[in-house]
Amino acid sequence: MSDSRNDNSQQSSATPVIDFDKFKPTRSYTAARKRKDIAMHVLIVMAFVIACIPLISVLWTTLVNGIHRFNWDFLSHNMTNVIGGEATATNGYGGILHAIVGTLEITAGAMVISIPVGIMCSVFLTEYRQTGRLSRMIHLLVDVMSGIPSIVAGLFAFSMFAILAGPGTLNGFEGSVALSLLMIPTVVKTTEEMLMIVPNDLREASLALGVTKQRTITKVVLRTALPGIVSGSILAIARVIGETAPLLMTAGYIVSTNANLFSGQMTTLPVFVYQEYSKLRANCPVGSSASCVTTIPMERAWAAALMLILIVLVLNLIGRIIARVFAVKTK
Amino acid sequence: MLCTVAACGDNAPIGGDTGAEASGITGNYAGAGASSQQAAVEAWISGFTSKNPGTSISYNPTGSGAGVTTFLTGATAWAASDKALSAKEVQESKSVCGSGTAFDVPVYISPIAVTFNLGGLEPAKDGRTHLNMDAPTIAKIFNGSITRWNDAALQQQNPDVKLPDLPITVVHRSDKSGTTQNFVEYLKAAAPDDWKYDLSENWPNNVGQGAKGSTGVVNTIGQANGTIGYSDLSTIGTLGTVDVKVGDQYVTPSPEAATKAIADSQIAKNLEGANRVVIDVNHTTSADDAYPVVLVSYDIVCPVYKDEGTTKFAKAWLTYVTGEAGQRMAQRAAGSAPLPQNIVSHIRTSINAMGADAQDQKEDR
Repeated sequence: MSDSRNDNSQQSSATPVIDFDKFKPTRSYTAARKRKDIAMHVLIVMAFVIACIPLISVLWTTLVNGIHRFNWDFLSHNMTNVIGGEATATNGYGGILHAIVGTLEITAGAMVISIPVGIMCSVFLTEYRQTGRLSRMIHLLVDVMSGIPSIVAGLFAFSMFAILAGPGTLNGFEGSVALSLLMIPTVVKTTEEMLMIVPNDLREASLALGVTKQRTITKVVLRTALPGIVSGSILAIARVIGETAPLLMTAGYIVSTNANLFSGQMTTLPVFVYQEYSKLRANCPVGSSASCVTTIPMERAWAAALMLILIVLVLNLIGRIIARVFAVKTK
Repeated sequence: MLCTVAACGDNAPIGGDTGAEASGITGNYAGAGASSQQAAVEAWISGFTSKNPGTSISYNPTGSGAGVTTFLTGATAWAASDKALSAKEVQESKSVCGSGTAFDVPVYISPIAVTFNLGGLEPAKDGRTHLNMDAPTIAKIFNGSITRWNDAALQQQNPDVKLPDLPITVVHRSDKSGTTQNFVEYLKAAAPDDWKYDLSENWPNNVGQGAKGSTGVVNTIGQANGTIGYSDLSTIGTLGTVDVKVGDQYVTPSPEAATKAIADSQIAKNLEGANRVVIDVNHTTSADDAYPVVLVSYDIVCPVYKDEGTTKFAKAWLTYVTGEAGQRMAQRAAGSAPLPQNIVSHIRTSINAMGADAQDQKEDR
């Protein structure tokens, strides 16, 4: 008895000898883990592939169908004097210049409205009133707004301008107002996230040096978060640039180029695509020349869709470049 | 900028005689309404602006109902509609017109083809397949009482073809449409025993499946064998068409045949409001080579507007689009049927009554 106790005390004082073999996984256990690992790998890769299929399919289909009519003539003309499926004087079949101008101007108008409002709103939420009833209410409203259907935004803008500028008013800026309604929540949310991850130390350091709050916000907080704010805004633009429904009812539709955002109807690319799709077929009168193409509306719709994708792509690239240029240089 | 702002990217004016006359009209004018007229209106805008370069005209194809509503708010110079104005709408127009009430004149006539996709038929010379049907047969197919292609009624009218034992799938418009309205008007007039639904722009029964827009209907029919539907003749491409029984013969749809049916129709009488030219389409016509399934689409304007420029524009616009050259442009651009002469003379009278001077004279008399 005493011997055994002695043995124990001796063992505990010495380094414990661990029998690692005892813990060694059995061969079947290792195999099971490996199988599970492979299975999960396959599932995850498959999920990735499945997520990519529609994306690549959309891009590929648009490219294949759109490239046919995608040329300089198409980009530099509008739809005036296009009769049925007949070729125009320049051997083109009309174009989308008016829609490109419309899309860019209306989206720029929406940016001018919603980016300042969105950024200031999130500055208020992160810098001035982190908690409290008002900020909770704003958060709730932003969440609700980010879920409203785009057609409702269109209705809002339409009825607002009906009251302000007379019933049935349609112009490009009305479209900008509708789009800004859809943009603001996205801008507020992304900017708020970006401002929140600015370290508090930076703010405190700045304030401790006697810098005013206003300068702290503009020169330190917003400056640090700038790349994130820019990419958030680009995301918001990408969200609204393809909107059809609100623009259909606010910006109208016209075949000639209208560069005045504040007067007259404007065509945008998504609306152009929709209208061309609805036309389905152009008429070629009996005995017309071989250059008359009955399927031209669909081909124009595809080419315009391709242009829209390209514009979004370019915007994304610009956003990335801006974000890189303004990134805070560490060291 | 590379180009002057106003004409940025405009295509060169179309060659040849567009038929519009220079009238010294300038300004921006907007119209809205029926999507059926879109291709024609775009051609008319080209023709009109080529002779009146100071004008900028927009046309928003929002649909007939929306077009009339917008017009009644005073936001547009004219409305295009597949349906004549109701008495209530004529009354409402008093508030937007300078004097008098709005009136409608037909500007666009287009045959509606009953179109189908059925394999195994021999295409005719025009590249389309054809089947013969009379009005009761068409009505029975669209009300669901004839459900198979080899039905005795069908086989009997098409003795030369072997019809397959295949179910008939009806495809109709799921959205509100003037095409639906005009098509069911035909069924109701020509086959009253088999078509008892009320007239409406919405499809009245649950037979078959709906598809949005002419595009949707034509695409759906193109995709499946054994389908039948209706759509504007210019949209159906190479799908089969039903030759409709008129009198003792079966008539293939064509713009010329549609014009003949309208020429054999009357102007509706005892309508609310002055100057109105509403065609009471004679769906049961027995005139030679007349095709009675026709869409008639109207332009709705005021006799006098609050703004003198708009009055001038509307008068010049209507004169152009209902004129021979304008109708030729529409035929070229949209495959529509030209207005028949007897209707045109009525339209002339209405157009001549437009403008402040004409209205004053009328009151003096």
